[in-house]
Amino acid sequence: MVARWQAELGMAAFLAVIGVITIIGAMEYGVGWSPSGPEPGAFPFYMGIIILLASLANALRATLPRLRPPRWAEHAFLKPEQLRLVLGFTLPILGLVVVSLMLGLYVGMALYLFGTLVLQNRYPMLKAGLIALATPFLAYLLIERVFKVGMLKGPLEAWLGL
Amino acid sequence: MDGFSGLLHGFGVALTWYHVMLMVIGVLLGILVGVLPGLGAPNGVSLLLPLTFTMDPVSAIILLTSMYWGALFGGSTTSILFNIPGEPSSVATTFDGYPMAQNGRATEALSFAFLSAGFGAIVGVLLITALSGWVTQFALKFSSPEFFGVYFLAFASFVGLSGAPPLKAAVSIALGFSLAGVGMDSVSGSLRLTFGFDVLLAGISFLVAVIGLFGIGELILTIEDGLKLDGIRAKITPRDVLRTAAQMPKHWATLLRSSIVGCWMGITPGGPTAASFMSYGLAKRFSAYRANFGKGEPDGVIAPETADHSAGTSAMLPMMALGLPGSATAAVMLGGLMIWGLNPGPMLFVERPDFVWGLIASMYLGNVVAVVLVLATVPLFASILRIPFAIIGPLIVVVCFIGAYTIAGRPFDLWLALAFGVLGYVFKKLDYPIAPLILAMVIGDKAEDAFRQSMIMSKGSLTIFWSNPLVTGLMLLGLVLLFWPLLGTLRQRLRPSRV
Repeated sequence: MVARWQAELGMAAFLAVIGVITIIGAMEYGVGWSPSGPEPGAFPFYMGIIILLASLANALRATLPRLRPPRWAEHAFLKPEQLRLVLGFTLPILGLVVVSLMLGLYVGMALYLFGTLVLQNRYPMLKAGLIALATPFLAYLLIERVFKVGMLKGPLEAWLGL
Repeated sequence: MDGFSGLLHGFGVALTWYHVMLMVIGVLLGILVGVLPGLGAPNGVSLLLPLTFTMDPVSAIILLTSMYWGALFGGSTTSILFNIPGEPSSVATTFDGYPMAQNGRATEALSFAFLSAGFGAIVGVLLITALSGWVTQFALKFSSPEFFGVYFLAFASFVGLSGAPPLKAAVSIALGFSLAGVGMDSVSGSLRLTFGFDVLLAGISFLVAVIGLFGIGELILTIEDGLKLDGIRAKITPRDVLRTAAQMPKHWATLLRSSIVGCWMGITPGGPTAASFMSYGLAKRFSAYRANFGKGEPDGVIAPETADHSAGTSAMLPMMALGLPGSATAAVMLGGLMIWGLNPGPMLFVERPDFVWGLIASMYLGNVVAVVLVLATVPLFASILRIPFAIIGPLIVVVCFIGAYTIAGRPFDLWLALAFGVLGYVFKKLDYPIAPLILAMVIGDKAEDAFRQSMIMSKGSLTIFWSNPLVTGLMLLGLVLLFWPLLGTLRQRLRPSRV
């Protein structure tokens, strides 16, 4: 189980790092004054400072028992069964992204839909297959035919000559 | 062009078959995204926006705003029938809407919701019609420091008044500005915060952020709750609607109060969600039937719905007149305006009166179309929610990723959408507000430009923000709002010591 205060602390630490990265990135372009006004890095630099300082304050609030709301100590951020549900939903999405980048979005979405429906939700193969094939087809009609916008394609579409 | 003749001109623009058709399509799509969990108004508009790049801006904005109205209505349907708010702004509608439906008054609750929502929306548009000319005249006097003052005020009110933890709101805002800063700097032309990664050269699109933060993040939250849909069936007949409509005048006080709250929260960037909660709270406080609230009191449906919609519509006023969106959805549309090559702000009224007045006229028509369509299609859309989430969930995921890719045709955006999705999920769970992040991403460049122009005007002296009564007033008000939470804490600390 992850407690609320641990999650708060983790997020604050992550954001503090983002703040530092922003500050470093901004400093490359100068954060001071040039003859043509503030240098390009100035604005992001101060934003980085705000992120860093506010996140440090949030981190303190999460860690010091005197500052943190009492319920954060026992309150669960994520229970094990919730974690299972969340990962069960998010990992297939990761798969969708990876496969889509290799084989195109149409193939990616067909495999993703088929996979989640059959493996996770025990849908009959035929029904799942129908949904998995109909969705990319409808998407193709709507996106490329009606709105004439290009789509991420892979080897299959090249082979089909689409 | 003043209000009335402008409006007449606008109706001429909006009342074509093509535009009415776009309204119908927009409203239907909007109800759909409003009904579906994980797809809300900001996200729906983001998904549709890339498909409008080739359209005429007037037609495009009519389509997108109609979708917004539809989404607001769709969100209320699920609140009442399923006790699941389709939109954050319809959470307050569940408090009395669902109990009413449970007591066998679903039709009445829905009719009350839609009619009062329509009323609120019309009040919002009337306000826009009346005030836009005046606000524009006022805003035409603005130069860079005043614009920066307005932006500062808007963000300060997020920190001070939004109800989110102030430090977290500050982080969200600064993060949004930093993300907006990635890529080409519009003033100097140098590339910033790219760290040598080519994929970051073009910047990070706020649309991808919306799709991830609002869409995928929301879906993960839904999954975590172990969503169980247990809907109440309802069919609306014209007779039921008329009977409820006849009761509406009895609730005039709630309608009026809620419209005022909604308009106020829409124009200041409090947004529809805060407006609906505040209005519900006020209705409860002033009601003679206070004990009935939470058990199915019509005023408990009317109040949040009226405020939600009047806030949603009146949020368009600062968006058009000042270039400052009053809600996350308005922020997305503002981004759209800039992509279509329009320059939101007072000059928009001067340069493109057809666009502005066409939009305002379409808001009257669009909301009427929305009320009629939503009343007619309740059974249809409620049946969509009976499709198991096992199918709907993955389909929405697919739609989100298609949307993320079509924004710019960049494969890297798929990664970004996923990353923003996870971030949005954790942000929601830890009470980091998302709307100000989006707002900062959209107007980041404009706010930064205003700041840099001011600095150039004053040769680097911050005193320019105190140089005239207008900008001083804006900055002072902003500072008060910014430190409002701190003042509250101080008051609390002082009080016990006095006793």
